[in-house]
Amino acid sequence: MTIETSIHPGPAARPATRRRWRIASWAPLIVLVLLCGIITLINPNFLTFGNLVRISQAAMIPLVLGMGATFIILMGSIDLSVEGGLTLSAVILSMLVINGANENAFGLLGVLLVLIVGAGVGFANGVIHVRLKIPSFMVTLGMWFVGVGAANALLGGMAIRINDPLIRGLAIERFLGFPWGVWVALLCLAIALVIQNYTRLGRYIYALGGGEELAALSGIPVGRVRILTFTLAGVFYAVGGVLAAAQLGLGNAQIGTGRLFTTITAVVVGGTALSGGQGSVLQTLVGVLIVVVLSNGMVLMGVPPSVQIGVQGLMIIAAVALSIDRKRMRIVK
Amino acid sequence: MDKKLISSASGLRIRRRDLLKGAGVLGIASAFPAIITRRAFAADKPTVVNSIRSLSNPYHATWNKGGAAFAKSVGADYVTLVTEGNSEKGIADIKAILAKTGGNCVINVDPNDSPDARPIVEAAKAAGAYVVTQWNKPADLHPWDFDPNYVAHISFSGVPYGKAMADTLIKAIGGKGGIVALGGIESNVPAIERKKGLEQALAANPDVKLLDYQVANWSATEALDKTNAWLTQFGDQISAIWAANDDMALAAVEALRADGRAGKVPVTGIDGIQLAVEAIQKGELAGTVAWDPYWQGGMGLSIGYQAKTGGFDPSKEPKDHREFYGKGVIITADNAKAFYDENIAAEPKMDWNDIWGRVTGQIQYE
Repeated sequence: MTIETSIHPGPAARPATRRRWRIASWAPLIVLVLLCGIITLINPNFLTFGNLVRISQAAMIPLVLGMGATFIILMGSIDLSVEGGLTLSAVILSMLVINGANENAFGLLGVLLVLIVGAGVGFANGVIHVRLKIPSFMVTLGMWFVGVGAANALLGGMAIRINDPLIRGLAIERFLGFPWGVWVALLCLAIALVIQNYTRLGRYIYALGGGEELAALSGIPVGRVRILTFTLAGVFYAVGGVLAAAQLGLGNAQIGTGRLFTTITAVVVGGTALSGGQGSVLQTLVGVLIVVVLSNGMVLMGVPPSVQIGVQGLMIIAAVALSIDRKRMRIVK
Repeated sequence: MDKKLISSASGLRIRRRDLLKGAGVLGIASAFPAIITRRAFAADKPTVVNSIRSLSNPYHATWNKGGAAFAKSVGADYVTLVTEGNSEKGIADIKAILAKTGGNCVINVDPNDSPDARPIVEAAKAAGAYVVTQWNKPADLHPWDFDPNYVAHISFSGVPYGKAMADTLIKAIGGKGGIVALGGIESNVPAIERKKGLEQALAANPDVKLLDYQVANWSATEALDKTNAWLTQFGDQISAIWAANDDMALAAVEALRADGRAGKVPVTGIDGIQLAVEAIQKGELAGTVAWDPYWQGGMGLSIGYQAKTGGFDPSKEPKDHREFYGKGVIITADNAKAFYDENIAAEPKMDWNDIWGRVTGQIQYE
């Protein structure tokens, strides 16, 4: 992890670094284009419309999760509760909509309830983190297990099949050739963009990440911003849970396994700095696409399964190495 | 994989995942007593004890039901010990029950980890109790070295069942076409064995081609993504999908569904979970294998109980009764409904006296 020690002028007033033109901030996009080019050369099937749809299907959940995680990381914190929030949401959703285990049929209301549960998990993260002054790493690590544990307790290790056409439709029904879930994910991206660029919360998040003491001195309600951001992230994870449940057609306690890794990787590969203050949700979109295209491409190119994880690791290091702005760093931890 | 990323930033902290998971659900977990005891009247009969990982997964929950059913059939006290994935707790609980019953008990244990079997067997021998182990034990620990207390070890070979599922697929596609296969974690013994079975079936059917084999780590999410990539790469060349467990098989079905091909491409899993049996009835899954934990939970106790009460002398039994592979139940469209009605919808009926009825050969160690 890198820690940026210099406090550049006026981060609280305007996120100047985000607007500054740097070749490094375009590196992830260049990597993505190169990657697509190489894969297409080896297997021309990559560029077919069918595969584009499949990549978008694989990307929709990491994208939504990445929106939440981006805000947290921009703020200079970390959120490990991705899998907890997602799993709990997916499991509760599977119990509320038309399913194979009980008579519930809450439909859209069920989805709304799940979003509230997600917000609750995020809110708990934020309050514990701010009020009890526990590092976000530990709070969210705990919340990860609380979420998965609660999901486990709700189901007793079983899986519940979802039969609700509304939910299943997110993965199966299509609009303009793409499943509805992809449009939901794009809507989340749009909402995240608006929050980032046009709301006070968005600006405050950058201010906190750039230099929290300065932000506090300039009168920003630091604690409230943190709690609100964690709550917001919780809602995004809940949306991710709804999409995951829709995609697999079931809710079980293992549904979130491996999601945290993809999410954080996507955010970081997209060029958002773990130290906070630099990055954006659009960069996360690029990061998500890099991760998803890479894993799709490795199957298409016939990379042996045992090598795939290693290649992914190298890719992460390479992408981060390209996008780091070394001039502004004094200490790397 | 997430572990690697996090541990680079935090030393070994993430290693406590399981511990913290336990702490996280402490409130809920503490509602369940660690030892669930059911008192009966027969104090002179040996107490029968099942030691399993948890009661929160369907596999061990069914195991526990089988144990309770056997205990009821002979009128013995029944105790369930839960390790919650903690080897020390598993061994300590067993020692406690040995002390409590003065050795007048029969233990059927699914050791949390292979090395745990040795201290458990040694403690049981010292106390005069009888023990049956299942799935996990060190290769050099044999029942006949602890006569008569270590009655038997039961496991299941993945090879014949991985092969049986591949054969089901090959039959469904008429002996010709392309298969893609989703494997479990590469270093897991069941994943290795099941894959070996697949390879045997393919070797016997040269007209069937393995288009690709991918490791999806037993995970539905990974299986979904891999299957999606295959649909791009191979398209209509895929005539069947073999998966090393049901979770991955069901995810493959969902990938096919999003492509409008669910039910048209045969898919098989292994494990026999409820959703898989239901999917077979719906015609979306071609087959699975059930390990029958109900039998494991009851019959493990029955074998130990009969040895303890003089029904047979373990030291006089052949080696293939002491270390044997049990029998999985192959479920296809032909018997899915019957299996569902008998084993999932209702309590299964078992003849607990047929102790060697599912022996399918002595366990082979390489």
